[in-house]
Amino acid sequence: MEKPPISLKINGKACKCGQSLTVLEACGENGINIPTLCYLKDINKEGACSICLVEIKGAKNLARSCVTYVRQGMEIFTNTPRVRNARKLNLELLLAGHPKDCLCCDRSQTCELRKLASDMGIKEVRFPKLTKIELPLDSTSASLIRDPNKCILCGRCVAVCSVIQSVKAIDFTGRGKASKVTTFFDSGLANSVCVNCGQCLLVCPTGAITENIATENVWQALSDPKKFVVVEVAPAVRAAIGEEFGLPAGTLVTAKLAEGLRRLGFAKVFDTQFSADLTIMEEGYELIERIKNKGLLPMVTSCSPGWIKFAEHFFPGILGHVSSCKSPQQMFGAIAKTYYAEKYNLDPRDIVVVSVMPCTAKKFEAKRPEMKSAFDYWKNKLGLKDNESFYDVDYVLTTREAASMIKEAGIDFLNLSGEDFDEPLGISTGAAVIFGASGGVMEAALRTAYEVLTGRQIEKLDFMDLRGLNGIKVAEVDIEGLKVKVAVANSLSNARILLEEVKAGCSPYAFIEIMTCPGGCLGGAGQPIPTNDQVRLKRMEAIYREDKNKTLRKSHENPAVQALYKEFLIKPLGEKSHHLLHTHYTERAGI
Amino acid sequence: MAKAAENKRNLPQVGLDRGELDQIISRYIGKPGSILGILEDAQKSNQHKYLTQDSLEYIAKRANIPLSRIYNIITFYAFFNLKPQGKHSIIVCRGTACHTRGSKNLLDFLINLFGFKEDDFSQDGKLYLTTKDNKFTIKTVACFGQCALAPVVEIDGNIYSRMTTQKLQKIIKSIALRGNKK
Repeated sequence: MEKPPISLKINGKACKCGQSLTVLEACGENGINIPTLCYLKDINKEGACSICLVEIKGAKNLARSCVTYVRQGMEIFTNTPRVRNARKLNLELLLAGHPKDCLCCDRSQTCELRKLASDMGIKEVRFPKLTKIELPLDSTSASLIRDPNKCILCGRCVAVCSVIQSVKAIDFTGRGKASKVTTFFDSGLANSVCVNCGQCLLVCPTGAITENIATENVWQALSDPKKFVVVEVAPAVRAAIGEEFGLPAGTLVTAKLAEGLRRLGFAKVFDTQFSADLTIMEEGYELIERIKNKGLLPMVTSCSPGWIKFAEHFFPGILGHVSSCKSPQQMFGAIAKTYYAEKYNLDPRDIVVVSVMPCTAKKFEAKRPEMKSAFDYWKNKLGLKDNESFYDVDYVLTTREAASMIKEAGIDFLNLSGEDFDEPLGISTGAAVIFGASGGVMEAALRTAYEVLTGRQIEKLDFMDLRGLNGIKVAEVDIEGLKVKVAVANSLSNARILLEEVKAGCSPYAFIEIMTCPGGCLGGAGQPIPTNDQVRLKRMEAIYREDKNKTLRKSHENPAVQALYKEFLIKPLGEKSHHLLHTHYTERAGI
Repeated sequence: MAKAAENKRNLPQVGLDRGELDQIISRYIGKPGSILGILEDAQKSNQHKYLTQDSLEYIAKRANIPLSRIYNIITFYAFFNLKPQGKHSIIVCRGTACHTRGSKNLLDFLINLFGFKEDDFSQDGKLYLTTKDNKFTIKTVACFGQCALAPVVEIDGNIYSRMTTQKLQKIIKSIALRGNKK
């Protein structure tokens, strides 16, 4: 039963609010934003930063509003000299120990600490930095770099890793001034259960967690006349990169993005959506085969590299349920360096594949040792030695990195008129666009699976039950009498719930989609900052708008994919697909 | 699996006995706060009174507790040791009361007595020294709660009150002699 609202006074003004709110939340509902560096709705209420102080009538001390709950008749003051001075003092103390290299910090434009210092009118920091110890960076990970010197111990990363992802790779260690956030025995993210999802990066208020930047490598490749540098762009990027140029969240900039990348000097601007359609062909047929031949069900999608590493660590016993399909990023690399190279008579060793991804885990995925299928394909044909091996995807840029390159090149992004992607690896359908949103891969797969299984046209293309930000979404699809139950999970704590059922052998589903990040790829850690639920919803609307606007909305209708099968792969799940488009997984130590 | 083996970090692994750890874990498992009891007994059962990385990884797996959480716990409590301990432990209280009554002198005396150099001090600000012959470990603690008896030093689990350098020298001598007789 809903409890009745309570009345209180905020800065002398009578207000009403729900009973279970904190003072910070109640003030927010009543138009007063209390500054905080550690609070995250439903995720982190630590009272760690001590910035959100308020005065409460009758209380001796100032209260941290994020951990103080409202009471009937409470009188709250958020803007008294005492409150302002205390907040400033605490902020100055945080700033005292913080490095002052803001000018060249990765987060200089999006740092909450810097912004708050400016908002609160801090002109000087009265306290000198006392500790001379420079803590070493954690640069073990292919995806993320952690700089403990910039950490303000707010605990958001620890909370997100635990609450949202249930991974728990990092925690606080030590006490007092020796406290820091780190992995077991400081062994580094790469040697922990970290899945590289980077949700910690998105919530970090400072530059303490950043992506492992690859822009310099890409610039180098672009300026090498011997190299044929192609780029592939993931679906979620076009619905978000505009934010980096000041456009509101949810602005689609597909054509501008294609033109902008072409102007950077890429020989061909291709689309990961092409290989997303290809993924649906392979994964759709894999599902159909498993259903027809009573194979291992439920089948679980394999596009999200954070989820794959999660499964390898925490659910090694059910890896057989995970589709053997590579992710679209990796399928693209393998096809670009085999089919495309052959078709256009290019030496695969000269092709450099750069991907633009909304994701940090993709950087890790591209460097998995097994992701060298194109090399294996050419090895005997060209007589290559093992030390000449090359990855299918050479460099992975996040959405933010791609935007920074466009800015660095002086391209007036907002005033670009827009161009198309290049053929043939730039042709895609609406089914591929929605890969960027949670539920999209499932929806795209169902569109194709239905038509392949029944041979008839599907009546309703939109699976509304599978869309949106809910953690777990389920639906039942009637394929000519065959009832197929499906489920979609976004974020790994939700995935864990579905996977425990699979592990226990009581999962009622035939097909499960798992996306590591809340909202799917559009909420990935490579996306513009801030990425929060409001922003996620807007990007999601943009993605479904793009799908609606496409003439072709089913992967198997993609003419370029059809040509690829006709000219090269022959058939889904065929011999060549097996070598180039499918992969295997590695059991890893859990906990 | 090869990757997992690669990830094994190289630290001295002493006294890991899985059977003994299993016994300890089964004594506590299922009870609230079990991890503290497990860690305490695991440390006690180790020959050099410390928790090895291997044994912690084993405990984490068996008790289903994230490694990061275990590291959080053992670095929070001064009680847990991550390095091998000398046969005898000397813990000097560095609380305010003990400080005003000369505990810094006692500490300096010990450092001189055992011939420790600046290089031996760890970087994290904690004092934690073990003699080369592994006989003595010197540590500090923030407060024993025995301020009325300051300055206080704990030697091998016994609290000695109103400590002086002379008394300290005597006790250490007798411990060393006892050790030689055995």
